Amino acid sequence: MTILYAFCAAAIMGAALYMILSRNLVRILLGLALLSTGVNVMLFVAGDFGSRQPPLIRAGEKALGEAADPLAQALILTAIVIGFALTVVLATIVVTGWRSSGSLDARDLDAAEQPDDPEIREPHAD
Amino acid sequence: MLGAGVAALLRRRAGVAEAVSLVVHGIVLVGAMMLLGRATQDGPLALTVFGGWPAAIGVGFSARLPGAGLVLVSALIAFAGAVFGHAAIGPRRRRAGYDALMLALLAAVNGAFLTTDLFNLYVWFELALLAALGLVTLDRRQAQIGGAIRYAAFGMLGATAILAGIALIYGVTGTLDLVTLARVLGDEGPSVATATAAALLVGGLALKSGLVPFHVWLPSSYAAAPLPAAAVFAGLLTKMGFYALLVVVAGVFGLGATFLTPALRVIAAATMLLCALSALAQTDMRRLIGYHVVAQVGYMAAGLSMATPAGVDAAVFYMVHSMIVQANLFFGLGAIHRATGSWNLRGTGGMIRSNPLFAFLFAVPMLSLAGIPPLSGFWAKLLVVRAAFAGGAAWLAVAALVAALLTIVSVASLWSEACWKSLKGRRVRRVPWSMLAGMAILSGATLAIGLLPERVAIVAKLSAAALARMGS
Amino acid sequence: MFVLLLVALLGSCIVPLSARYVGKGAGFIVALLPFGLAAAFVAYAPVVERGWVRGEGIAWAPSLGLDLTLRLDGFSFLFCLLITGIGGLVAVYAGGYLTDKPRAERSRFFTLILLFMTAMLGTVLADNMLLLIVFWEATSILSFLLIGFDSRSARSRRAAIMALQVTAGGGLALVAAAAMIAQVTGNWSLAAVAGNAPQIVASPYGVPIILCVMIAAFTKSAQFPFHFWLPNAMQAPTPASAFLHSATMVKLGIYLLARFEPVIAATWWGRTTLITVACVTMAVASVQALRAESFKSALAYSTMASLGILVLLVGLDGPAATVAMIGFLLAHAIYKAALFFCAGSVLHATGTGTLRSLGGLARKLPMTAIACTGASLSMAGIPPFLGFISKEFLFEAQLESSWELIPLAIAVLVNAVMVGVAGVVTLRPFFLKPVKPVKVEHPESVSLFMPPLLLALAGLTISLDPDWITRVAIRPAVAAVYGRAVPVDVSVWHGWTPMLGLSLIVVAIGAAIVRWWRSIHAFLRDAYLIEEIGLERLWETTVRGLLRVSAAVTGWVEHGDLRRYVVTTAVALVALVLWSLAVAGAAIRWPVVDALRPAEALVALIGVGGAVAAVRARNLLTTMVAVGITGFAVAITFMVNGAPDLAITQFTVEALLVVLLTALLLAVPLDAARSRRPRQRAGDAAIATAFAAVMFVAMVDMTGAGHPTPAADWFGRMSYVAGKGLNVVNVILVDFRGFDTLGETTVIAVAALLGASLLGARKTEPQPRRAVHYSFAAASGPLFWLLIVASVLILWRGHDQPGGGFVGGLVAALAFAVFALARGVRSAETRLRARPTTLVAIGLLLAVLSGLPGMIAGGPFLSQLWWEPPAGVPLPKLGTTIAFDLGVFLVVLGAVLTFLFGLRREGAR
Repeated sequence: MTILYAFCAAAIMGAALYMILSRNLVRILLGLALLSTGVNVMLFVAGDFGSRQPPLIRAGEKALGEAADPLAQALILTAIVIGFALTVVLATIVVTGWRSSGSLDARDLDAAEQPDDPEIREPHAD
Repeated sequence: MLGAGVAALLRRRAGVAEAVSLVVHGIVLVGAMMLLGRATQDGPLALTVFGGWPAAIGVGFSARLPGAGLVLVSALIAFAGAVFGHAAIGPRRRRAGYDALMLALLAAVNGAFLTTDLFNLYVWFELALLAALGLVTLDRRQAQIGGAIRYAAFGMLGATAILAGIALIYGVTGTLDLVTLARVLGDEGPSVATATAAALLVGGLALKSGLVPFHVWLPSSYAAAPLPAAAVFAGLLTKMGFYALLVVVAGVFGLGATFLTPALRVIAAATMLLCALSALAQTDMRRLIGYHVVAQVGYMAAGLSMATPAGVDAAVFYMVHSMIVQANLFFGLGAIHRATGSWNLRGTGGMIRSNPLFAFLFAVPMLSLAGIPPLSGFWAKLLVVRAAFAGGAAWLAVAALVAALLTIVSVASLWSEACWKSLKGRRVRRVPWSMLAGMAILSGATLAIGLLPERVAIVAKLSAAALARMGS
Repeated sequence: MFVLLLVALLGSCIVPLSARYVGKGAGFIVALLPFGLAAAFVAYAPVVERGWVRGEGIAWAPSLGLDLTLRLDGFSFLFCLLITGIGGLVAVYAGGYLTDKPRAERSRFFTLILLFMTAMLGTVLADNMLLLIVFWEATSILSFLLIGFDSRSARSRRAAIMALQVTAGGGLALVAAAAMIAQVTGNWSLAAVAGNAPQIVASPYGVPIILCVMIAAFTKSAQFPFHFWLPNAMQAPTPASAFLHSATMVKLGIYLLARFEPVIAATWWGRTTLITVACVTMAVASVQALRAESFKSALAYSTMASLGILVLLVGLDGPAATVAMIGFLLAHAIYKAALFFCAGSVLHATGTGTLRSLGGLARKLPMTAIACTGASLSMAGIPPFLGFISKEFLFEAQLESSWELIPLAIAVLVNAVMVGVAGVVTLRPFFLKPVKPVKVEHPESVSLFMPPLLLALAGLTISLDPDWITRVAIRPAVAAVYGRAVPVDVSVWHGWTPMLGLSLIVVAIGAAIVRWWRSIHAFLRDAYLIEEIGLERLWETTVRGLLRVSAAVTGWVEHGDLRRYVVTTAVALVALVLWSLAVAGAAIRWPVVDALRPAEALVALIGVGGAVAAVRARNLLTTMVAVGITGFAVAITFMVNGAPDLAITQFTVEALLVVLLTALLLAVPLDAARSRRPRQRAGDAAIATAFAAVMFVAMVDMTGAGHPTPAADWFGRMSYVAGKGLNVVNVILVDFRGFDTLGETTVIAVAALLGASLLGARKTEPQPRRAVHYSFAAASGPLFWLLIVASVLILWRGHDQPGGGFVGGLVAALAFAVFALARGVRSAETRLRARPTTLVAIGLLLAVLSGLPGMIAGGPFLSQLWWEPPAGVPLPKLGTTIAFDLGVFLVVLGAVLTFLFGLRREGAR
């Protein structure tokens, strides 16, 4: 079972990488979302697989009995939310880029490569 | 961090936000000085675990040495940046949240320098990534959006690699506390999982710090950011990545773990040479300096890759030097742009006649970057070269010196184009005092390190010792 | 000596300020500093005279190996006298020379000159090699600034950059040499090098050390093949040329070689190399000196030839060579500085420096003419001038040493050329008739003719009354270089010796050169395109080629194609992993194979299926759905493996992602044509597979390693006891690792800020009402409240049951999302009543503030406090964690809503 999950995590990450290698920005975005899912599964595999009991302390007891690794879960929770935030931010930037350049092709990011026209002044003390 | 919240609330009123951020930077600066004092006096482990839990369990901040020293440097840079920003950042940008983003960035950088926990480190990287993204896209120009997409994509890739490395390490050891990790990993030999984890962490962090071949996203995104932000990126962001690299390689895995050194050496040499070479042909000043920023990280990596205390010592010294100098160089570019209206070397000139004080303040970081004694860059390069000779990698020392020559060539032409050349038909404006003051703070620091290198050298030495001690 | 250096340094910064206020006499005031220093050095004469060495040292940065150790021996003393003495004259001269310049510029020039003088003094006094390098590089930089002093002229700038490239490169070689020496001997002292010579030569670093020292010296002293920067450096104002590029700075290379002579001599090839280089330099320089058109460049090439002679003398063995070296050093500095002054005066007076167009100036610049004649006679080696004596020494050294005749022949020829040059530069401008009348714009002034006159006089007096200078300077200097005292006899008449014969030959050839200079000059100009030009071109081509390579490399590396960047990165990452695995050389550990549970396996495989489908889908909407399937499958996996918190979070996140990304997809074209060629796809698939394989192997090994859980166990034990919570995950989040969560909350807050800045500022046009099924519209109200209540519940009970701030915030956001879907963004915004970013800010403050009470109570930041109701009272337990969690709740809600509203508006446009 563990090996199966490890395989799933690796497969998801591989598929995600393949998508990121695309040139369509939205595919890259979705690929990155998939990649963070894959890493979350990986973190889950890193946690203890000894038990399938949720890490809740039973009423009346003082300490956690046999249960899944709570620390790993806490980490994954954080990672999920951060991954979510990043995905959404990237989506926003992609939309903004689409609005301003009308392209979703990663090759058209070249605007950042060319030296600025000296005539374009930065709005300084406006 | 509190400041970030306040600034976010206040971002509609630009003036107030600026005042708040200036005050906060000032407070942080004083706090950082006290912190460094504590770190050097109380021994290297003045630990605060947030939430009051025992060390190694909760997430803690510790005034460990390299970190505490670097916090002081970053606070200094941020403060200078705030002073510089007085003239460089208009109310429109402030309304767009410049101050809050800047403070969040500073919080992230300092968090990373101080944390004792591997996962916490990752969280700070994400925060820095987002804050930097916010700064890059502040003006919403098209070039910025392009730079931002690239920045975001690479940032996320790097973060994922780091997180995957953390997952592997946690799976093997069950802990995330750096000191405990160092102890556990130091005892065992490398296994497949830990070696992979180390490579993933090194790769991810190399991406963050811009080492070749992971550097491609970096110079262009620097060119996209508004200026004081670019300065802070140059000074802090790449160094944050390198700091983490330092802690992971020298601290957690320990200098005994030599399975990383060959790859690191190649990466270091490639970074120094390739980026110093690339800088030569640039005409956009921001990209020119951007390449130098990356090349400088190569020197640090060269020190680190020696896997000796002397090498780590050199890397730490180099970091301190280079953070200050690079931020200052970007300030200088901003001032040149303000005076001549151009980022391009072809459109600049005449600075030495119109702004002689500026020329002096700019000469200090330039010469220091080129490694001219007695400025900080010379001592830093010397330490790296010595460490390379002592570590038996003379070829790396030669690479460092060749890169230094390339840097001198590039810096000399930058000086000649920006300061000496006369600009025909255009009047060169005066640089506002706040920009000069911001530069003066950092140039003063560079001069001080150059003339009195002993203090920094001792801090660097103690840092190397502290990192080496982590595992024992 | 520290005091003197300090005085020099401070003086160079302060004294030139006087030039801003004083007009004409500024030079004299400024010259007081170098003359004062010279006097102070003379006070050391009794020490030096006895052959003693005066050392001073204080620790500067011992951990870097840097100590402020100074050492004054005879050789340094000689240099100090030259530097300060000529420095003073240069200051006087510059005062007269720069009368045209604005005062600020003049003051800047004085500052640079005096700083340069300080740096020179430092270089020759330093004993610590690092200290030496500090000053050495300072002279390079100051030379750069002085050559480019006329910064408006592109030629000056080019010359300055070239000089810096060459000399700074040499400086780096010196750094390398010093570092290697310290590596071998563990000692940074220059004086100790001589003693450690055998050890240095025997070490594996021996050859590189010597080569590096030679490169450093050759670049500084303009020796072949690094000589081409010196003639270009004549773009500097003439006083600077006189000081830097003839009298002092270029002699630093000689200084360095002399100090390292024992090491160089300890190898079989050291001396040969020196002599060969010197001979080539002399030959090149003398040809060029005859080709030179301008006064200054003729002098520059003759300087280069003289430097070649000095290097030759260092290379020769025997005490006579050392004596000759010291003597020639002194004589050359004196007469060459004087000649440069005269060249400067001519340039200043007439505005032209071309030798052929000058003439008849003796009448207009009489004093300069006298000075020039005196200095030229010395240069030509005519008795009774000092130059004659030094030339005698030179020939004596060559005859005495064990060397072949070729160097001697070259030396004779070179000296003849020097005679020729001396004759030409004196006769042509001053005494011969001009081709056309020369107009004199500035007549000579005292400050212009006094310095060269004094120097010419010095050349005469020293040779006539050599006692004092021999005693205090020459003899100790020779002893310091040679290692033991050598009898030195300085006098004009030695009787009929072979040297005298050689001198006669030299003068005869020289006279012939003067006679037929015009035709030789014309011949060489026409016919001779030699290495000098070749090397300079070569250097420039190299630099330009470097630029081209740089541009090409940059273009190749920075191609602007994101895909290829990612490919590079991914390949490098995989390669890095494989490399470190190969070096580490560990074997895989296999985990215990546990039972396969079919249902869960199926779910997991559906997840993989989703990923594969996402890869294969051509339509972005399909891709998104496929990615969503993976997400839900992962959520179910979490659920069945004992992670309800994760499952809820994952579900909500996926749901929200679908809502948000739909907004994105509404804006962009949905069908994604293949953007990669089949070959690229195959390559990408290979990379992705390799990456996945590496990760898989690592994960298998990880699970095989067994899983110690010290931290997790501790949390399990302490969660209720210390954290007052039954849900261990939540307790970890808000309490044990609350700081992580705070950081994460800040991440979200910053994301919200960014979203607001990117999406918010645009004015929204009134939104068209879209048709929504009425049942959905009707249901959305109750559904909204249901979700809000649920979210509050989740938040509240999170400490004990699955749930918490994150999930709560996400669910609440989901409520608004449903509402916005049904009734439009506008009404959802109205229902929220506050701006989402305000929620974020309040939430962040709340979360941060919740950590403060614990701090006030004496614990560190984020120590959570609890208030438990006394038993029996039906009140819930309260703790600061609840405030913390509420803060997280608000931040998440606000952030998601920022994006939700913004993206939907964006999508609707």
